[in-house]
Amino acid sequence: MLLELNHIEKRYGGVTALGDGNLAVQPGEVHLLLGENGAGKSTLMKIIAGIVARDAGQMLWQGREVHLKTPAEAAAIGISMVHQESLLAPHLTVAENLYLGREERLPLGWVRRRHMIEAASLVIAEHRFPLRAEWAVEKLTPAGKQLVEICRAILHGSSLVIFDEPTSSLSGSEAAEVFRIVRTLRERQVGVIYITHRLDELQSVGDRVTIMRDGRTVHTGPSAELTTERIIHHMVGREVSAIYQRNPLPQGDELLRVEHLNQQGRLNDISFSLRAGEIVGLAGLIGAGRTELCRALFGVDPIDSGRVSVCGREVVVGSPKHAVKAGIALVTEDRQITGLALRLPIGHNITLANMPAICRLGLVDGRAQNSAAVDYIGRLRIRAGSPRQLAGRLSGGNQQKVVIAKWLFRQARIFLFDEPTRGIDVGAKVEVFNLMHELARAGAAILMVSSEMPELLQVADRILVMRGGRITGELPGRTTQEAILRYAALETQPPAEERA
Amino acid sequence: MNSPAVERTETPVAPAKKGEGIVLQRLLPFLSLIILFVALAIASPNFLTNTNLSSVARQTAVINIMALGMTMIIIIGGIDLSVGAILAMGGLLGTMAMEKGLSIPAGVLIGTATGLVCGLANGLMTTQLRIEPFIVTLGTLGIFRGLTLIISNGLPVHRIPQAFSFLGEGNVLGIPFVLWILVACAIVTHIVLEHTRLGRYTFAIGSNREAAVYAGIPVNFHTTAVYAIGGMLTGLAGMIEASRLMTGQPTAGQGYELQAIAAVVIGGGSLHGGEGSVTGTLIGAFIMGLLSNGSDLLGVSPYLQQAIIGAVIILAVTLDELRKRRTMTS
Repeated sequence: MLLELNHIEKRYGGVTALGDGNLAVQPGEVHLLLGENGAGKSTLMKIIAGIVARDAGQMLWQGREVHLKTPAEAAAIGISMVHQESLLAPHLTVAENLYLGREERLPLGWVRRRHMIEAASLVIAEHRFPLRAEWAVEKLTPAGKQLVEICRAILHGSSLVIFDEPTSSLSGSEAAEVFRIVRTLRERQVGVIYITHRLDELQSVGDRVTIMRDGRTVHTGPSAELTTERIIHHMVGREVSAIYQRNPLPQGDELLRVEHLNQQGRLNDISFSLRAGEIVGLAGLIGAGRTELCRALFGVDPIDSGRVSVCGREVVVGSPKHAVKAGIALVTEDRQITGLALRLPIGHNITLANMPAICRLGLVDGRAQNSAAVDYIGRLRIRAGSPRQLAGRLSGGNQQKVVIAKWLFRQARIFLFDEPTRGIDVGAKVEVFNLMHELARAGAAILMVSSEMPELLQVADRILVMRGGRITGELPGRTTQEAILRYAALETQPPAEERA
Repeated sequence: MNSPAVERTETPVAPAKKGEGIVLQRLLPFLSLIILFVALAIASPNFLTNTNLSSVARQTAVINIMALGMTMIIIIGGIDLSVGAILAMGGLLGTMAMEKGLSIPAGVLIGTATGLVCGLANGLMTTQLRIEPFIVTLGTLGIFRGLTLIISNGLPVHRIPQAFSFLGEGNVLGIPFVLWILVACAIVTHIVLEHTRLGRYTFAIGSNREAAVYAGIPVNFHTTAVYAIGGMLTGLAGMIEASRLMTGQPTAGQGYELQAIAAVVIGGGSLHGGEGSVTGTLIGAFIMGLLSNGSDLLGVSPYLQQAIIGAVIILAVTLDELRKRRTMTS
């Protein structure tokens, strides 16, 4: 056994993050770690990687008990971790990032730059990463950055690599690239712990599965024996219909019409419309221009030509201010960056986009703000103690809901959801879908970008497919993944170099 | 061994228990101010005299009024290094106007308006040229100071109506007039920050500028407004300084920007933006004022004074960081 964790406990103050964490990993095995957000996966991984210390329990590394105090100690014995968020230095090159903190130095601290680039190129070529050692990291797509992280983790001869949701920001072909790298690691007898929210990855990569719930390990076994329903049962502790079903709503008036939208180098002759009560999926590979389309419609990157009409009247969306005024809302995938002020209370976040509604004579009416916040916390079932709780202390799914509450309070009618389910757990996903359905029933029009095709097939009334900045196809909601892929990927695309 | 299930049912209660701790720690700066006050009262018989206390108030008021504007600027995620120069320019133009025969209120108004215009320039440059406020105000620090010296030819303005000294040295109901002004400015700034849209946007922009843009907030407009308000308060402080010295000094206010920033930071303001408060800043400014007054009274060398205040800044920020780290790890 490469690594064995027995009855690990960890608490933060009065909160128990881990009550009974168990995990055993063999060399040359890909071990999937599943569980909802807050189940204790991250804490367990932090203990393995030496980021936090355990309170109780046993950690055996190659049969010997170890107490790791720093990530450097973990790295020294051969444990490395690929983090979900990019921990790269954006202004440095790929090679410099790979060797960050382990540069080869000559006397006087002189760094052997050329030698470093050569060595990095060798490793990149050996694993066939679609990267180049001298590229600047800031110019890479999220997928490219993830690959640099992976490359860094395996560069220094690790015997155990932990992947924390490596594919959450990737689409089809990039994810396949990650799977390929994981398989080569397995062939080299490296142990891999792989955290994921995407249950479809189970068959693609996993040998064995460990499922955690509420700080405990609840199931361990070969992945081939598990069905999706069984996994969800273990994760949430109750039976959930795995496939979300929604019935299409009667469609109302046309709320948004987009005609011949162009944006230099990004969007090409985009035309479509959204009706009230409709959820339209926007499919495509990373780099197809889906996020760019959302940003253009929201006025973040203004368009070069084309018409946007809301409720039949042409609007100029030169900035988010205009878009918000026209009733357009954008819920971005990186909600921590563009959606929330994490250090401000929930109540402030919810009312932020519609301050006039809670101001009297220029002063904020605290009672009006509070009642609005309480109202939306209840309506969206946001799990929060009070409107005064800081947004940064909510889970991912609840943060997502705060963002949606903000737009509901602004009375937005056209919702652009960019990867709304990224990084949130199964239970929260179903809630987000329900929420979108409720929005549609209340008369909103929804455009939903998602890289997870099964989700689009479950939720969308119709699906638009983009490739290379164009809309290449429009499909009914009950289509197949094959049909979507045909429009999304007619040509093979280089994964890392194009801009996201 | 406690069963985790029992633990979990307790967690909803945990934030409330934590809350008390936070309140206590929030009060820490205020407590240290009181402790400092009491300690000085015991250590020096001259401390609790009327003349000394009103002299502390007068000395602190100038920095304090500047620091109120700096509080807003720091909360919005900015910085203003040019306030010392703005103070000099406001004081100079205001006193020059009086020298030319304008009334005292008109002079004060001109000095304050000068500050407003300078702040506006700072705000417009950071938002329109998209340059870091640190760089912009480092530049305008030189520009404003240089302009002030050019306008005055490097010479102070002396011919000022005698009644002007009331602004800085007068008493109303036995309390220094500047203290009344300070209290009024502090109350208005507090209301603006905590209870108006501008204040709410200030916190939001400082906490997450990107999210504010995405929420449809006119970020540039509000940022510019905050710099203008900061400049305006500094212009007013410049007039008070001029009144206390009874001269329009083109070299006034050198190094004041760092004192104003220090007051905000001691009071819990974060240079990353999104955090800070009027009460915190007032406490910060008074702590520094008392430290310098106390050292004078106790005969501590002025050289050591600087080192003490420097150490206090680092200590205050360290304690504040510890508090934040404790509240975030839950």
